[in-house]
Amino acid sequence: MRRASVWIFLAYLCTPSFALYRKEIYKEDLRIQSLRDGQVSTTFSFVTVLEGAGPRNPKALGQRDESQHYALFPLTLGQILREYAITELHLTLNAGKWNYDNWGHPHEAGVGTGAELWAWMGASEVTTVDERWSGLRNALSGLFCASLGSLDSRRTLSPTVAFPLSGSTPTFSPHELRHASLPSENVCTENLTPFLKLLPCKSHAGLATLLNPQKVFDADWHGMGVHVIWKEDTGIELKLSLQTVFNPVRTSAGKRRDWNLQSLFDRSIERSCPVASSSSITVILPEGKDHKITPENPSYMDGLAIYDLSSSSNFTIPSNIAMYWPSEHSFQYRKSLSVPLPPLTPITPLSVKRTIHGTTQTRGVLSVSVTNNSPQEISVGYLEMMPALITMWMHTLKVEINSQIRSDLLSELKYHPPSPQSNDRFSPSMLQAVLTIPPKTTLKISMEVNKAFLKYTEHPPDAMRGWDLPGAVFFPLSQLSHNTSSSYDWERIYTPTLLVDLPTPDFSMPYNVIILSCTLMTLIFGSIFNLLTRKWVVMEIQE
Amino acid sequence: MNSAAFANTGSGFKDPEKLSFERDWIRRAVLASYWIVIILAFPFWWHLTSIERLALPTSQVRSQLQSNIVFPIAIHFDASISQQNPSLNSQVQTLLHDSAINEPGRWRGVDIRLQDRNDEVASSLYTVALGEQTSIAHSRNLRVNRTDAQSATRLSSILSDLIAPPESGTSHSQRVVQYSDHYRLAFTLLNEDATPNRFVATWDVQAALAEFIYPLMSQLSILHNFTVESQVQYHAPLAFEPRRVTLGDTEVSGLTQEDLTVFINSAEWTLASSVSNDPVLHFVLFVPSETHSPMNIIDSEGRPINQSSFLLPQWGSIFILNNELNSSSLHLSYNDLKPVFRNFATQLAALLGVPPVPLGLSMEGSFLSDWQLDALLRHRALQNVQGSQDTLHSIIKLVDQINNMPVGQVVRDDVLDALASLHEAYRTAVTSPALALRWSSKALSMASRAFFNPGMLALLYFPAEHKYAVYTPLFASISVPLVVASIRDFMAWKRGSQDNGRR
Repeated sequence: MRRASVWIFLAYLCTPSFALYRKEIYKEDLRIQSLRDGQVSTTFSFVTVLEGAGPRNPKALGQRDESQHYALFPLTLGQILREYAITELHLTLNAGKWNYDNWGHPHEAGVGTGAELWAWMGASEVTTVDERWSGLRNALSGLFCASLGSLDSRRTLSPTVAFPLSGSTPTFSPHELRHASLPSENVCTENLTPFLKLLPCKSHAGLATLLNPQKVFDADWHGMGVHVIWKEDTGIELKLSLQTVFNPVRTSAGKRRDWNLQSLFDRSIERSCPVASSSSITVILPEGKDHKITPENPSYMDGLAIYDLSSSSNFTIPSNIAMYWPSEHSFQYRKSLSVPLPPLTPITPLSVKRTIHGTTQTRGVLSVSVTNNSPQEISVGYLEMMPALITMWMHTLKVEINSQIRSDLLSELKYHPPSPQSNDRFSPSMLQAVLTIPPKTTLKISMEVNKAFLKYTEHPPDAMRGWDLPGAVFFPLSQLSHNTSSSYDWERIYTPTLLVDLPTPDFSMPYNVIILSCTLMTLIFGSIFNLLTRKWVVMEIQE
Repeated sequence: MNSAAFANTGSGFKDPEKLSFERDWIRRAVLASYWIVIILAFPFWWHLTSIERLALPTSQVRSQLQSNIVFPIAIHFDASISQQNPSLNSQVQTLLHDSAINEPGRWRGVDIRLQDRNDEVASSLYTVALGEQTSIAHSRNLRVNRTDAQSATRLSSILSDLIAPPESGTSHSQRVVQYSDHYRLAFTLLNEDATPNRFVATWDVQAALAEFIYPLMSQLSILHNFTVESQVQYHAPLAFEPRRVTLGDTEVSGLTQEDLTVFINSAEWTLASSVSNDPVLHFVLFVPSETHSPMNIIDSEGRPINQSSFLLPQWGSIFILNNELNSSSLHLSYNDLKPVFRNFATQLAALLGVPPVPLGLSMEGSFLSDWQLDALLRHRALQNVQGSQDTLHSIIKLVDQINNMPVGQVVRDDVLDALASLHEAYRTAVTSPALALRWSSKALSMASRAFFNPGMLALLYFPAEHKYAVYTPLFASISVPLVVASIRDFMAWKRGSQDNGRR
């Protein structure tokens, strides 16, 4: 054995062969922005690029796959992507409601509450897209400790217009989209731990050191995202992002909106990640001049303060980055005791409110009001993805402005009613339309809905809590015409989720039914049996 | 008042016993018809509430336990040897026969025969010929030198080591991974703690794999399929603090034997794979951090031993890299990896149960000889056959013991398939050990699939008490008047017949 290997080794020594390496690049970045309501939004993004790599052709799924060799790309995720031949993957796990009006559009568009997963896959005869979708869900729920396995056919749709391929389209086969969301998913530490394990430096070095679960999950809004995109000219790009919105006014004693890294995360960056090719903290400076930022030697460029942390730069790692308002004693947001202030105009051009109301457990009205805050007319795509718990009645659809019916403002209406599937379940219904909203007006859409009467076994353990419905999605229309969305600075708007109260049974019912019907049976049986077998005698009573 | 009126006018009523529906036989017929309905309904009820328990081929499985797979092996002594010593053939035959009787476990499944002439073309025909030195040659040939060729004991011990390699106690069987037709080989470069002046960013893993691992894999491809993957991790802390040992004028980190058992920090190291159920063999190249470097394995007396790698049974192998790393060499070149991957190749062979070459024997050419491969094939096939026999027997026993356990068509089909595959394995063992292995592996997977069928657990936790809780409210209240009425009527009938008799 040993001699044989020596022989081989000698043979190879004469002809040394070196395999070509795919280049892998890892970049990390943190964006910090003070919001106008005193909150602080932080966006971590960790990008790993596999240069020159491409998605697996699903037609070759039956054959053996090439070996996977990674240095920076996480192998556990790479295995999943290759096993199910995923071209593009987006997974977000969020908690809280993103306040578009005060916070503006997020840096990462996927801010829908709960879990949202969508993937583009090439069609293939070897294994169908749906089989791979189910495998992908289960693999990801194992990887991220999330209940993504329940994103089954009752939640899956294919809204290709609102969720287009972000990267390039591979030529090997026609691609299909699978999208599902689970608004009731709770995001917690057990999801963050596997998320951090996908990073090359984990949470030991670099920006990820800051991600202290106790602080991250204490934030008013927090969410994480995994995005895998294939771009023809670069390769496969994996972007892990984590967004939080902290409220220093709430946590600080003096009601001040000052923040520093130590107070936000209760941790500091001790050292940089040695494999990161770039590592930076970008602070988006607020308008106005009354704020101060330390340390003061970053490179400033149009409203941004950039601190470079990568090991190659000579800049020493700042122990702490802080922003403070020296002239402000305590932060007052929209609070005035004497005069009521006029409402502030929202930052985003669109503000959306969506409610479901109605007094009974069987019927209700879904109403959405969209306000255009800008002086221009806006056309926007509107998408509802409803689980079959709710049936929307299209004939009751009303579009109003100031109580006047304006049906002309709604066009290109598409509706897929819930359809029964082979496994006795119903697929969700999908409503997609284009809304045209005149400047500075509020458009109201309302439609009647029916609430489903579920089977006894279909209820969750906490049935009285109600069911979460996923939020509606608004998307810019440039995506409809497949232009580059350069004219739009936003990708999607998610409305908050809704909680719907379905008719719930009394769960001790089966036993009550058994006992009651048995008693009834016994009564009927007893009286008939007695009638048939009773012996009648005439008794003579002697007096 | 009323009753008095009733009594007074009593003579106006008919005698109730004369009424048509008040006859005794009508009442008894009504009673009997209730009972008949109950008795007729009983089989239906029994059928509807019983658990589906198909009959398993119990007797076939029991008879399987006695039968065993047998590989016939023919050894042919070349004329160059038999001419020197004509009685050698029979001497070796007797010695091998004795050895087979003394160690039945080692020789199980092997039926060895020595042939004079090379006339019979068997699948496993081994040739022993005279050579310059004792060595294993290609395609099932053995060369022996002149001195070895003279001694029957020496020849028989070489042959028995090659054909039925001794299993060195329990450690061997615990080290070898369970048979699977597909393994994932995961090669991981672990930096304990990457600091800018001491860490390895990349390695020439593909060149090293092509050199040391792929040839071995291609030779073992008749037994297993492999998937190879590799990754690099930059922060893989240990779960314990290694002991500092002074060695001359330097201080090293020492790993004791106890430390080695807890070396893998599975909570922090992301080594697990989540996409498939195939067993994974891990090969870890561990780069200790600046503070823990150099890192040595120490013996019980605290002295460092001259070995930088160790094997974790059924899990994989770990190599501790103590090379001098400077900040300019963030890359491990192919030359750096050569000792590592040579070691990994040996450990892979050991984990897969490849028998070692007997002492004093040299080998020509490739990594593994056909002798070793054949012995491994036979051993694995035998293991699989025994494993599937045991599993089948356990299913039968379990189903016998637990009366509530359902046995569906799927389980039954799997058991029958496993039995059929076992028969195929026995049949093909004569002609092709590789085919026998494939059948035995199929038998094992079928048997385990039947054993772990989720349907068999379905009603295990639905106890009989639940049924009573559902049935008693109805059956108890119905059966009481029925039984009482029957007893009363029976007594009345008895009294009536006694009265008749007296008359």
